[in-house]
Amino acid sequence: MNAQTLRRYLTPPLIALLLAIALFFAGGFINPDFINVTQAINIVRLAAFLGIIAAGQTLVIVSGGEGIDLSVGAVVTLAAILTFRITGGDNNLVGVGLLASLSAGFIVGLLNGIGIALLRIPPLVMTLGMTGVVSGTILVVTQGEMLGATPALMSTYIARPLIFGIPGVIIIWVALGVVMWLLMERTTYGKHLFAIGVNRTAARLSGVRVERVVIITYTLAGLLAALGGFMLLGFAQTVLLNLGDPYRFPSIAAVVVGGTMLTGGKGSYWGTMSGALVLTLIDSLLRAMGLAEAYQLIVFGGLLVLLIAVYGRELNLRQ
Amino acid sequence: MTLQLSVRSIVKRYGGVVALRDGNLDIQSGEVVSLIGANGSGKSTLSKIITGVVAPNGGQLLLNGHPVHFSNPQAARGRGITAVYQELSLVPDMTVAENIWLAHEPLRLNFRVNRKAMRKNTEDLIALFDGTISERLQPDTLVTVLPPDERQIVEILKALSIDPQLLILDEATASLDSSQVNRLFSLVKQWQAAGKAIIFITHRMDEIFRIADKATVLRNGQSVGTVDIASTSEREIVNMMIESAATPDDIKIPVVSEDAPVRLDVQNLGGGRVEDVSFTLRDGELLGLGGLHGQGQEDLLLALFGAIPYTGRVKVSGKEVHYRHPRDAMKYDIAFVPGDRGREGLLLVRSIIENFQLPSWNKYGMLHNQDAAQRDAHAMADDLQLVYAGMQTPVNSLSGGNAQKVVLGKWLLRHPKLLLLDDPTKGVDVGTKGEFYALLKRLTEAGTAILFYSSDDDELLGLCNRVLVLQDGRVRDTLTGERLTHSELVAASMGATNNHEVA
Amino acid sequence: MKSLNLQRVFARNTYLISFILLVIVLGINYIVQNNVFELRVLNNNLRTLVPLMLLAVGQSIVVIGGGLDLSVGTLVSMLSALLITWVTPDSTPDQILLAVVLVCAAGMLAGLVNGLVVAYLRLQPMITTYATSFIFSGIALLLLPRPGGSIPRDLSTFYRSPLLDIPLAFYAIALLLLFWSVLRTTRYAQYLYATGSSGAAAYATGVPVRVVRVTTYVWSGLFAALASLTLMLSTGGASQANIGDDMTLDSIVAVVLGGTRLSGGQGGIAGAIIGVMILRVIRNVIFFAAVPTWSQTLVNALIIIAALAGPGLIRLIRRSIGR
Repeated sequence: MNAQTLRRYLTPPLIALLLAIALFFAGGFINPDFINVTQAINIVRLAAFLGIIAAGQTLVIVSGGEGIDLSVGAVVTLAAILTFRITGGDNNLVGVGLLASLSAGFIVGLLNGIGIALLRIPPLVMTLGMTGVVSGTILVVTQGEMLGATPALMSTYIARPLIFGIPGVIIIWVALGVVMWLLMERTTYGKHLFAIGVNRTAARLSGVRVERVVIITYTLAGLLAALGGFMLLGFAQTVLLNLGDPYRFPSIAAVVVGGTMLTGGKGSYWGTMSGALVLTLIDSLLRAMGLAEAYQLIVFGGLLVLLIAVYGRELNLRQ
Repeated sequence: MTLQLSVRSIVKRYGGVVALRDGNLDIQSGEVVSLIGANGSGKSTLSKIITGVVAPNGGQLLLNGHPVHFSNPQAARGRGITAVYQELSLVPDMTVAENIWLAHEPLRLNFRVNRKAMRKNTEDLIALFDGTISERLQPDTLVTVLPPDERQIVEILKALSIDPQLLILDEATASLDSSQVNRLFSLVKQWQAAGKAIIFITHRMDEIFRIADKATVLRNGQSVGTVDIASTSEREIVNMMIESAATPDDIKIPVVSEDAPVRLDVQNLGGGRVEDVSFTLRDGELLGLGGLHGQGQEDLLLALFGAIPYTGRVKVSGKEVHYRHPRDAMKYDIAFVPGDRGREGLLLVRSIIENFQLPSWNKYGMLHNQDAAQRDAHAMADDLQLVYAGMQTPVNSLSGGNAQKVVLGKWLLRHPKLLLLDDPTKGVDVGTKGEFYALLKRLTEAGTAILFYSSDDDELLGLCNRVLVLQDGRVRDTLTGERLTHSELVAASMGATNNHEVA
Repeated sequence: MKSLNLQRVFARNTYLISFILLVIVLGINYIVQNNVFELRVLNNNLRTLVPLMLLAVGQSIVVIGGGLDLSVGTLVSMLSALLITWVTPDSTPDQILLAVVLVCAAGMLAGLVNGLVVAYLRLQPMITTYATSFIFSGIALLLLPRPGGSIPRDLSTFYRSPLLDIPLAFYAIALLLLFWSVLRTTRYAQYLYATGSSGAAAYATGVPVRVVRVTTYVWSGLFAALASLTLMLSTGGASQANIGDDMTLDSIVAVVLGGTRLSGGQGGIAGAIIGVMILRVIRNVIFFAAVPTWSQTLVNALIIIAALAGPGLIRLIRRSIGR
């Protein structure tokens, strides 16, 4: 196999996936206990939450126009708190909780989309501003008190082993992967999404309603982040005011590590899934090594630079 | 100071694609050498290697007999070599003066930019094109607000500002109107007399004969020979470039009959630069749009495609329409091929099939029937004689002519009844042009109404039976029959009100 | 013709709209807090925002050059920790001076690393600086595992008091504007704007694009150092390992509020300074308008969004009427 064909098949998502597998076995060197089925499932389960939350981020980044969604963390928190509060631990209200979470995510995403597409606010600051609005709303509603409980049903179906020892969240994640693939590669919305990511003028002159696609994209991102928040509650069992904050930037990192271009127009969700696995593995490995937090941070940052250096490079000015 | 440059056996590969396999060229002070070849023959690559923008994979540059190696554009500029590029190298958010003097600003005390001197020098440069440009073009104007022709002039002035010994004009006339081209040519003659060497790249055959001393012909990345202009003919050069060629004169689209149904009826249309334009267009007619650059032709097409807001009344097949978006126009079977295919027509990094199907995905169902989409795209590619490696290859790997076929093909897949064309043969090689002319004929015979703007007067006069000449956004004249001549077209373009020729 | 001129004025002075916005919010501030323009109040208000102002200035330079720096906040944390480990309440002026030089050098070095990675490895600025922010956080935590630290009392007293009846912050602003007005006339500034507006065009013209990109991050590192110095002056040297982390996003919002386009090639530091003031005045207004504690975050965010949406809203309304 020559370098040419190697390059064609070794796409960024595949590199990320191979890297994830390599990292897992590397973990075995550091700590032989690291390699076992339980641990593997546990890591995939952790990656699943990040992966679900990063699904909307993938769409937003592919849509281009400096597309980015910094409000995912806040939406995750909002969805978890809503479900926590509304169900109050009652299994019968889980559906209502899910519906309320998704509605909230829908509204936040829609507002993001309107601000970005119609009012032309840069995505970075619009979604940052919405983060403030969502966090502010949470404060107003809860007044800092976390009332409620997590229904037992949720932890059964999301966090605990469901079929063949595989937790529900992983099954849902895989299903989401299929849906996302169909959405991006087999629907008109997906084709239009890539088109506006590459060139909005050309897309418009080919009959793509650019603003509409942008609004749909951010709305989907809100919905997916809310779904992620709902799922996360099933795992975390309890809510905090900053429950979703640790997902804000990692959701972007997962997308980029998966080979999606930050400038838009090129990328895939299965890349993001690989990216989520890689990031989660690095994190788990660093923990397993028992490093002090300071060193964990430094190594994680250094590895992230290396990862994006492998293929996240921009075009050279001189060819 | 005299200069003598020899390019010897230059090779350049992009990834696996060979852009240049054996590039050769000789030029010295006081010479105008035309570099010609079909699209993708390697002209632009060769000129970029000479100016240090692109690094060659092999071969040699000899400057005054000594091998040189330019590691970047500054190095070439230091030796008095620069170029006016086809893709503009201007910084949109900076003023005309800032752009022209970028990286060699006149300085005060060696670190502060001397704005006064910069302004003065810029005014002197702009004066070279006095009379052919609008009031807008001032030293302090932001480049982003200028139309393409004036940007091109800024680009030329920018190259001139370093007082080059060797100047490469790469398709520099493509977006200029005839008065601007005339001015440029008289300037080229002056520079030539002053001892500058000029490499002139163009797709317009007449320009080569007007300005060049010699022509070096490239074919498939290889120099196939150099001829003296004085002792050659258009035919000979064309034969060197390709095997077969068609000129618009070979194809005349028949006059459409009076009882063909009216496809488009426009009354008092305004919008963008367009003012009070009225005309009708029948099925099967090829209606030409002429005039100097930027007189509203593009805005007229954009308005009819719903891409810019307009006033007035537009009827399509007798039904009054109100577009707010191109998608509305598409519902009436209208298609638009934009003038700037890289910026407006194509998704460069995406695949050929995605470009072909972009306007049409809807018809392949909620979950696309990928096989059907592939089949249709393949059929269209075959129909247009597209040269491509595979449907999944990105469109930026195609040559100019083939890329334009993709732009055209994506609309033909929708079987439009009204086709709006904005200079579709701009920057397209002679061979592909011939194919386009034949295609236009086929389409009109099938009853498609076509509104056709071209910056190439020969094309308009050769193909169309009726030409609307625009000036300042208004229809200055409508040329038909006997009056379809160069002199009438020029006269109307320049705003002459009677039918006498302008000198 | 007249409207065209007006448009031109706004296009060239991107911070004008921001300035008008600042005047409006200041007016509202005056209504809810009558003593806002008194020297003491003004001094207190301005002093606390000098660090963010400096940070936003560095951020502007990066943004104008076509980049983004998500590491500035953690850089402030790291540099503050560095300063505090070197300076004690008993430090001599010489030792303090050495520490200051060291902090500035460290800031520029960190910026250099960011810049080299972005410009020479050609990595996307946002994700690169996000990654390096972990490294800076880690180092901050190493240097300062527990909150603490203090500097000589004289220094913080000096920093708190007005000089010649003018708040010290005014001198800082004046110095910044002077610095910028000089920089703006240099060839370097031309390179900076050209690089940010169109890197490819600038490169083809002979602008050393990569070097310029690197320098923008070095500037940002230097300004982060200055920010951490003033931050330590205003806290009296009390620091913690994440003291600056939250300033990153504020610095970006300030840059945008100041009329600088995030895609680069346009804007200036005056805008960033105005942007920081707007942010601060909004918070002031919320506080003095007696907005309930739990609602302050929400109201603050809503006002910022409204401010950002203003120009777009005007455009939309004009388009729908103008037709």
